[in-house]
Amino acid sequence: MTAVVEVTGLTKTFGSLNAVDNVSFTVEQNKIYGLLGRNGAGKTTLMQLLTAQDFPTRGSIRVFGENPVETAKVLQNVCFIKESQKYPDDFQVKHVLKSAPWFFRNWDAEYAERLVHDFRLPANRRIKKLSRGQLSSVGVIVGLASRAPLTFFDEPYLGLDAVARQIFYDRLLEDYAEHPRTVILSTHLIDEVSNLLEHVLVIDEGRILLDEDAENVRGSATTVVGARTAVDTFVGRREVLHREGIGGLASVTIGALTPEERREAAAAGLELSPVSLQQLIVRKTNTSNQEFEQSA
Amino acid sequence: MTTTTTTHTEPGGELQRILNVTRLHLTNKFPMMVLPLLILGFIFLVNYLIWWLIRGVTDPQGAADATQGMQFSGASSFIFIYMLVVAVQSVNLTFPFALGYSVTRRDFYLGTSVMFVLLSGYYAVIMTVMAGLERATNGWGLGGGMFDVIYFRTDNLALQFVLFLLTFLFFFFVGAATAAVYVRWRANGMYVFFAILTLLVIGLVALATYTESWPQVGAWFATNGALGVALWSLTVTALCALTGFLLIRKATPKN
Amino acid sequence: MDESRPIFVQIAEQIENDIISGALPEETQVPSTNEFAAFYRINPATAGKGVNLLVDAGVLYKKRGIGMFVAEGARAAIVANRLGQFQSEYVRPLVAEAAKLGITQAQLADMIKREGRQ
Repeated sequence: MTAVVEVTGLTKTFGSLNAVDNVSFTVEQNKIYGLLGRNGAGKTTLMQLLTAQDFPTRGSIRVFGENPVETAKVLQNVCFIKESQKYPDDFQVKHVLKSAPWFFRNWDAEYAERLVHDFRLPANRRIKKLSRGQLSSVGVIVGLASRAPLTFFDEPYLGLDAVARQIFYDRLLEDYAEHPRTVILSTHLIDEVSNLLEHVLVIDEGRILLDEDAENVRGSATTVVGARTAVDTFVGRREVLHREGIGGLASVTIGALTPEERREAAAAGLELSPVSLQQLIVRKTNTSNQEFEQSA
Repeated sequence: MTTTTTTHTEPGGELQRILNVTRLHLTNKFPMMVLPLLILGFIFLVNYLIWWLIRGVTDPQGAADATQGMQFSGASSFIFIYMLVVAVQSVNLTFPFALGYSVTRRDFYLGTSVMFVLLSGYYAVIMTVMAGLERATNGWGLGGGMFDVIYFRTDNLALQFVLFLLTFLFFFFVGAATAAVYVRWRANGMYVFFAILTLLVIGLVALATYTESWPQVGAWFATNGALGVALWSLTVTALCALTGFLLIRKATPKN
Repeated sequence: MDESRPIFVQIAEQIENDIISGALPEETQVPSTNEFAAFYRINPATAGKGVNLLVDAGVLYKKRGIGMFVAEGARAAIVANRLGQFQSEYVRPLVAEAAKLGITQAQLADMIKREGRQ
């Protein structure tokens, strides 16, 4: 598989804070990646570094084989849609649709028109006068219609209501199926997008916690619920991701179980429940926080 | 794992990219190319009424005095300040937008500079025509002076055009450089910049006052004339252009 | 979509269920990967993985330029496979639960017969 982005030892420091802390990973061509993490984990900073909108403190970035900083022939194939995009004063939606094709070679004007209709965007309204949701729609439409070989979406769907978000996910999947490209989606609404993702990058406090195929992560944890002693016996020496309980009842999250082990648990009168991608990431993030606090 | 470059640059690519930025600035032509003219037109109208009133109310001697006074009208200086503001807005607001369109900082700055040059030409033509008309009609038949004022008088219209062009360029690039300071260092940068600027100006004024060289300053302006001063201003313009570029190279679209 | 297991496995199972039930007869065409992806709102690569699972198992095969088809004998193969798991997946838990509740083997057999009649 060809690598579209290669990051080695990347660090970005703001004052005394490492927003991105010695990060290394690869992004392969034509896959949908989820860049997941809490607010302030470093998702936006990382994306800004990858799109050369900000400069690394240390480390190297290669996009399409080259350093993206001030390199037009790389950046022409990149589209970065972010929530906080500023537009020129007096710009209307139609001006955005008119000017975008000059910068994105693969722009599909017809597709953009259809999307404007889908998202119910008023073409003649000034950007300044749009509602939060409509403003997000503009970004989403540019990102989709650009058909840029490497497209970043930095939580552009905040402000979109649930219906509009679903439209976005559906359009994204549809377009990706017909015109494959590399997409990196950052979000803290993990469960909503989890089925769209092929690969998952979890970032927390500037560090990569998880860099895995989505399917490997799904089903990689189980929650065991039952009488405390029975649970503890069953869990034994397994790695515990999370533990909680009330009275004599305990609920412990551990790794994946084989069918044999599942039967063993059932026989012991324990209940097994699935752990969604979001819950898994929350647990892993909390664990890393605890470890961090302990080591401090 | 190998990396591939799925990109290529066409030979005409770079020029096209720069012009795309210029196009971007001018996507919405109204605020940059029409609105200033409307305001200028309004100011002219107001001035015209005032000249007409003065003419109507005073005696010939008074009228001559008034005509003298009207040669110093600052009415048209509005448009230069407006262009300064346009430059600041262009750099400040369009920079993060252009970055959002994956434009490099270099292409952005060059494209914006081209836009400045084009607008300078556009407005210089308009001002020259108006100045020419004013001279030909002897101040619009009322001895009024708005475009053909003493600061901007030269012998022929071609030089007049050059004068206006250089002045517009000056204001554009000073605005651009100032905005670049903001884009690079944000609010703190602005405070420091203006603090330094104020100290510099005060320092120079103090120097001129103590060395009693104000007459020489005046003489310099007089001997060089409007065109001469404008040509000298080109150095400042070029300096601002360069500074703006260097600052933008390291700027980021902070939220 | 169940959250506890990989989606591609669930896709494969769903197709298998359709084959067993007759909704997808042998030698008919199966919806394309993209159609599955759109319907279940999942990543096409994931859907593809599920389909490939069945191709590897010989349940589906690819006709060049046309699409995926249900292989001959697929139904029988799937049923045979599931039969093997039936004992451990369904019978054993049933017996264990019954034992927990104090249901005798005879009572259990009765209940099964009653179910069969309905």
